[in-house]
Amino acid sequence: MDWPTFIQTIANSIVASSIYASIAVGLALCFGVMQMANFAHGEFFMLGAYVVFVLNAMLGLPYPFVVLLAALFVGFVGLVVEQTIFKRTRGNVLAGFMATAGLGMILQVIVGQLWGFALMKTIPTPYPETVSILGAQIGVQRLLIVPGAILSVGLLWYFLHHSRIGKGLRACAQDQEAAALQGISVVRMGALAMVLAGMLAGFAGALMAPVHAVTPYMGHAVVLTAFIVVVVGGMASVEGAIVASILFGFVHTFAATIFDSVVASMIGVVVMIVVLVAKPKGLMGRAKA
Amino acid sequence: MTLLSVDNITVQYGRVPAVRGVSLEVHEGEIVTLIGANGAGKSTTIRSISGLNTPTSGSITFQGEKISNLTPDKIATLGITQSPEGRRVFPYMSVHENLEMGAFQLKSSAELRRNMEIVHVHFPVLKERHKQLAGTLSGGQQQMLAIGRALMSNPKLLLLDEPTLGLSPLLSQQLAKIVRDLHETGLTILLVEQNARMALNLADRGYVLETGEIVLEGPASELRSNEEIQKMYLGG
Repeated sequence: MDWPTFIQTIANSIVASSIYASIAVGLALCFGVMQMANFAHGEFFMLGAYVVFVLNAMLGLPYPFVVLLAALFVGFVGLVVEQTIFKRTRGNVLAGFMATAGLGMILQVIVGQLWGFALMKTIPTPYPETVSILGAQIGVQRLLIVPGAILSVGLLWYFLHHSRIGKGLRACAQDQEAAALQGISVVRMGALAMVLAGMLAGFAGALMAPVHAVTPYMGHAVVLTAFIVVVVGGMASVEGAIVASILFGFVHTFAATIFDSVVASMIGVVVMIVVLVAKPKGLMGRAKA
Repeated sequence: MTLLSVDNITVQYGRVPAVRGVSLEVHEGEIVTLIGANGAGKSTTIRSISGLNTPTSGSITFQGEKISNLTPDKIATLGITQSPEGRRVFPYMSVHENLEMGAFQLKSSAELRRNMEIVHVHFPVLKERHKQLAGTLSGGQQQMLAIGRALMSNPKLLLLDEPTLGLSPLLSQQLAKIVRDLHETGLTILLVEQNARMALNLADRGYVLETGEIVLEGPASELRSNEEIQKMYLGG
């Protein structure tokens, strides 16, 4: 690997880590607060990208405005999914899994019927310039993803640790019954977790849309990696999901550059197995109190 | 005045009844205790009052309002808080954050600060360790935190489920003193205990549960001198 490729791969790794983090953190939050896994989470990411495709590429609305709308829209979708699926399947992980996996497929088909299955959508890059960093040419659009993800994940972290409601979310993730005994509505916290997770995934999808193949199936690969990241991070741990995102961002990107993406996925799974053998509860796994 | 009235409730786990036709009352300003052996249904009863279990029949009323169909968070906001069995502190939150969670339902931060000060007076150790993660506290400290957390919303009725379980005799005595102090400030307390001697010394009245049914009730002094109770629960 020559020097510019190496720098380029480092930059790509950081971008990938940022994307994984903004997707996996929402998944971990929902798993913690509701003890339910949202298998349509990858489609939330896809919807964010399609908001950009429709409003920016087709209708010509300004990109930053559309990114914001994407976050709000997918956050709303999160709320709808909570109200229609998780409210009814609460406590039954398998039913929630089946229902959201089905929802994911339905969303893929709806989006495909509306805008086509086969060809990937091209979205004009709002920031086509490249910058030269240590001899490597890196697109500005890609670089924007990093502060975007850090900002959104950082805001979530701040909210969880410094606001009354955010602390309530953490309390629910640590002990639902004890949280309910303090007057915290576990149902409302679940809805809030889904809104936040949707906003993060939609935001990530919107940021990625100009540099990613936009197709109805784009959420699929992302959600698989996100689930691996969440498992490695320790299921319900937001901090663990962030650390594992960075780990996988680098491992996956370097493996894909040196070998190919199939080998990269295999290495990813191997890393997961190694981590789980060494630390069965994940990197920042928590024993249930 | 009757604050809480449990009227003929039955609670089942699957098809197995854990509690059958239990009735009890707690009047304002009282300490009432519920004693009995392991598995007699003490925790089930107190969990039902908080809404963590739902009775299949019978009803629970608090200040004249039926609460047995409400969710636990609703019941907590009505003024019934619980220090649950096994403490159940939030292990990855600081002592301070745990206490803040106890005040989750309060809207004013002045009220939160005032209640926090009161809790710190009763449990100085919680002030010393306010930054420490709750999961790293000793068992006794966690118990104090669980009670402190339940006091943070300034409740009308405090439910204590096995507060001395796993504590040393010395710590149990300390805790008994704190419960008495709380009672003297006018707080109404329902105390579930396997340590019947301590419970009957603290309480005004008591109920004895056996295999899911109440078999005896009366003033604590009467229960203390009851021969059956002495044989079964007081070791002599």
